[in-house]
Amino acid sequence: MTTQTLHPRVQVVWVLRAVLIAAVVTAPFAGAVYFDRLPEWVPIAVGAVLLSLGVAHALLRYRRWSYEIREDALYLDRGVVTQVRTTVPLVRIQHVDSRRGPVERGVGLASCVVYTAGSRGADVRIPGLTPEGASDLREELKRLAIRADGEDAV
Amino acid sequence: MKLAPQSVPYRALQKVSGIVVILFFVVNNNPDWGFAVAAGVAGAVVLAAVGYEVAYYRRFDYELTDDTLDISSGVISRREREIPYRRIQNVDVSRSVIQRAIGVAAVDLETAGGSSTEGSIRFVTPDEATRLQREVQRRKAAGSAGSARAGDEDAGRAGSGAGTGAGVGADRVGPDEEELFAISPGELALVGALSFDGRLIGLLAFLSSGSVPVLSSFIPDASAVALTATAIVGVGGLFLVSWVLGAGVAFTNYYGFRLSRAGDELRYERGLFRRYSGSIPTEKVQALRIADNPAKRALGYASLSIETAGYAPGQGGEQGSQAAVPIATTDRVYRLAREVESFGDPQFNRPPKRIRWRYAFRYAIVVGVLVAIAFGIEWFLGAGLPWYAPAALLLAVPPAAHLKWRHRGYWLGEDHLLTRNGFWSRTVTVVPYYRIQNVIDARTVFQRRWDVATIVADTAGGGSIAGSDAAAVDFATDEAVDLRETLRERLRIAVAEHRDRRDRFEWFDGDAEGADPVDEQTGEADEPTSDTNDGERSDDGGESGESGERDEDRSDTPDDGVIRPDFSGSDRDYSEPAERIDTGDYAVDRNPSDVGGTSESGDGDEDNDSSDDEKAEDADDDEK
Repeated sequence: MTTQTLHPRVQVVWVLRAVLIAAVVTAPFAGAVYFDRLPEWVPIAVGAVLLSLGVAHALLRYRRWSYEIREDALYLDRGVVTQVRTTVPLVRIQHVDSRRGPVERGVGLASCVVYTAGSRGADVRIPGLTPEGASDLREELKRLAIRADGEDAV
Repeated sequence: MKLAPQSVPYRALQKVSGIVVILFFVVNNNPDWGFAVAAGVAGAVVLAAVGYEVAYYRRFDYELTDDTLDISSGVISRREREIPYRRIQNVDVSRSVIQRAIGVAAVDLETAGGSSTEGSIRFVTPDEATRLQREVQRRKAAGSAGSARAGDEDAGRAGSGAGTGAGVGADRVGPDEEELFAISPGELALVGALSFDGRLIGLLAFLSSGSVPVLSSFIPDASAVALTATAIVGVGGLFLVSWVLGAGVAFTNYYGFRLSRAGDELRYERGLFRRYSGSIPTEKVQALRIADNPAKRALGYASLSIETAGYAPGQGGEQGSQAAVPIATTDRVYRLAREVESFGDPQFNRPPKRIRWRYAFRYAIVVGVLVAIAFGIEWFLGAGLPWYAPAALLLAVPPAAHLKWRHRGYWLGEDHLLTRNGFWSRTVTVVPYYRIQNVIDARTVFQRRWDVATIVADTAGGGSIAGSDAAAVDFATDEAVDLRETLRERLRIAVAEHRDRRDRFEWFDGDAEGADPVDEQTGEADEPTSDTNDGERSDDGGESGESGERDEDRSDTPDDGVIRPDFSGSDRDYSEPAERIDTGDYAVDRNPSDVGGTSESGDGDEDNDSSDDEKAEDADDDEK
């Protein structure tokens, strides 16, 4: 299996999230303007900066995200500010979920969550999959995990 | 099996003591209610509690079956729980002063799943607690001898452990204990001396901050000097009291600490007032942590904690490392750690020297911030203070950066990854390759600028929650990538070795005649092995006619010198061929010793009868 990227539509989910965060953070500033505590340009500037940062982060995040199933492990490469590369050995997979949140359903996407017994990277989420892709990946990982025939070592 | 009868009044009193105390205060505050009413209510509450506990006692039942520990409990909502022996991580027994006085003990069994203690038995007699502990270990060793530990030394040790287990196991004593560590009075004194309970200071400071205005109104004409002197004495006294308290707590906690090995299991014991004892199977050890600080290093001491996956994150840090050796000389700690995980002699690789510049910059920025804060205060107050004074800390930056670099490192052993981090509290973490759950390679923006990366080997151990993972921090990117790939590869090899060993053991078990090991082994290695560790079933799998000879072989070392592990998962007598019984739905093998089991099922019937009575009582309870 070659390196896989996410479905481009996942950017919509992330951009929406960035907009939401920017709105929540900007709201107090807007409130302050309403009560004449701050000049009018402050909330606009804050909102614009947050929005552009958030959108840029979302787009970069999409470009950075990739995953790959190799012979004995699942590789994930992601992260904009802190780049994280996770190696999940197939023998250590406990169970696999595919799930769809409300926003994901709205744009017709799904994600796949891989669980290990580890305490830190206990669940690894692969977002931005088509619903069929998510169930295919789940089935594929399940098959590979069974074939790997490992013990959980706990 | 039933609980100890003494547990009924003890549990009842434990439950209602709070209510009785509240009643006492209510009576004190409302004298007109009178003593009689209070006594009546208290009596009713106690009676209700005793009634409930009697029902609980009658309902609570635990049983050691061939491969699970079954606990059925609950008065109003009932629960039947089966815990497979090979899933049990730790067995802990604790006895407080009162519990010791009335002769009961609490038993806790931990598995890796769940958020709380999975098997909690309150309370049984101390002898029964010890028996449970030993019996669980014995049955587990019998059930999962096939999945022995990785590494050659480990295998040898496991083999000999199981060998002694087979030899002595017949009289249900289990393997002999070999003492690994016992705390000496000097070490105990040192633990006490180094324990300082900061919580008390916080509490008293909080309380006294409220009382200062009140106090100062009482002493209006006291001079400033006297006040300052009082304050200094007060703070000094506070520290002294905190220290004495901390020392006292540490002393009572670790009094009589000893760690011993019995077969494949570590056992610990500690405590002055509340006695703790417990067992940790060596095959469940996830990681070892050896910690020290500059003071301990100067004196040549360190501490060791043994991590399992048994304790859930929410259960508190203290419980997480019950078997921690609080303090011992460094070489003793390492000897002990090698007894548990034989990791050889570590030669740590340090990060590249250039990384010291990164730390130096980081500390210089901190100093810069301090200077800026001082300048801000000076500017605000205009008091003419030397705001540039914190800049003197810049002198400490180069040595600090050097020390930070010096105490980082990782080492790839034959079967273990060792990492080292921290100057003030330096921790060496030992992770067997087999225990790695996943490998994380993280690079922050700043790390990318320096072309370095951090590699974290994640395990299922409980301590990792606290952020003390086995991490190789700030290594050159290509070295880090190599490390990541090496860890993945070594994990793969370790898993393959485990599987190989497991299959080989299964083969010995499946064919007792053992004509030609090599051919058979390669022939069977590819077979699916989903039920290999089910000791009892695989015993049944063997031809029952030959099992008698097999038992005899097992009891002492065979002529060829190979010690075979004890696979008998039960106390069944295989001396005679099993009889096939048709139960209607399916056929089962019945061995001669199982005939006694029918009388046990008779007991079970009685239990059912009594539980019917309890159901009636439960109904009563529900009506209440």
